[in-house]
Amino acid sequence: MSIVIRPSIESDAALLSSWIIKPDVLRWFPMSDQREIDDSVRIWMGYTRFGASFTAEYDGKQAGMAVLYIQPYQKFSHQCLFAIIVSEEFRNLGIGEALIEHVVLVVRVQFNIEVHHLEVYEGNPAIHLYERLGFKEYGRHPRFIKDTGKYIGKILMQKEINHGRT
Amino acid sequence: MEDLDIRYTFVTDGSYLRQWLYQPDVLKWLPVSTEKEIDDAIQCWMGYCRYSCSLTATLHNVPCGIGTLFLMPYRKVAHQAIFKVVVDPKWQKKGIGEALIRNLKHLAKNYFRLDLIGIEIFEGNPILSLLKKQGFQEIYRQENYIKDGLKSLSRIYMEVEL
Repeated sequence: MSIVIRPSIESDAALLSSWIIKPDVLRWFPMSDQREIDDSVRIWMGYTRFGASFTAEYDGKQAGMAVLYIQPYQKFSHQCLFAIIVSEEFRNLGIGEALIEHVVLVVRVQFNIEVHHLEVYEGNPAIHLYERLGFKEYGRHPRFIKDTGKYIGKILMQKEINHGRT
Repeated sequence: MEDLDIRYTFVTDGSYLRQWLYQPDVLKWLPVSTEKEIDDAIQCWMGYCRYSCSLTATLHNVPCGIGTLFLMPYRKVAHQAIFKVVVDPKWQKKGIGEALIRNLKHLAKNYFRLDLIGIEIFEGNPILSLLKKQGFQEIYRQENYIKDGLKSLSRIYMEVEL
């Protein structure tokens, strides 16, 4: 059983969309219907042209993806937000961890990023993985999501990238 | 200011916004720094005019400030919006920013039925005291978010419930 991480290609978009639409995945994203998912997938896939989207394959099958939202402005170019998704059928196989470790390596070597950050909703079990990989909470936005009348908070986490290490 | 008027923004107001953004004392509080970045930002900003969520302050019918609600595109986050406001440097500290923010709050609450509006500012931005006066509270702060030359600054997210 092997995990291979490669740059995403345009044809990964359909799978990405099919993973997000699953209710247990969609609840952790700001989108809520196919139109919104299509819009977010279009934005995500737009980063492939910068080499900033990655696809994990498990035994040759697409199993997860990660994207670095590379900043367009010079004043922000030392930091970067990222997002990650793992297909429900490939959970608990180390794919999320492998994707994050790959992304951390890429931001250090390829994009010269110093601060790597993410946003996750309260209650998302992925928070434990982020903590284990060195991301620390720096803030909360308590009423970021409103879903069927209920507010859900957004937790903001970041990791400083040590450029001195190889 | 008796001659101050607030109206919806026209796309053509973008030329005034461009002039203001080129002033160093305005530019230092914004994420943009190059001509291309300024042009891209103005194009995106003026794109919101079509949703009637942008207001222009005028003095003698000449634009002197613009404030815009950046409405969220997804339903789960559509109860809130981030806004931006810029006042012509030669008319700052005369209540124009305050009038724009007050009117944006009214527009957000009564027309768009938003629960919250927020603004992201850089550490040290003098607009902070005005925001506090208008009821905004700091929600979170991220250190070293902006790098301007050798200087690193925090971003501060301020929010008000409508």
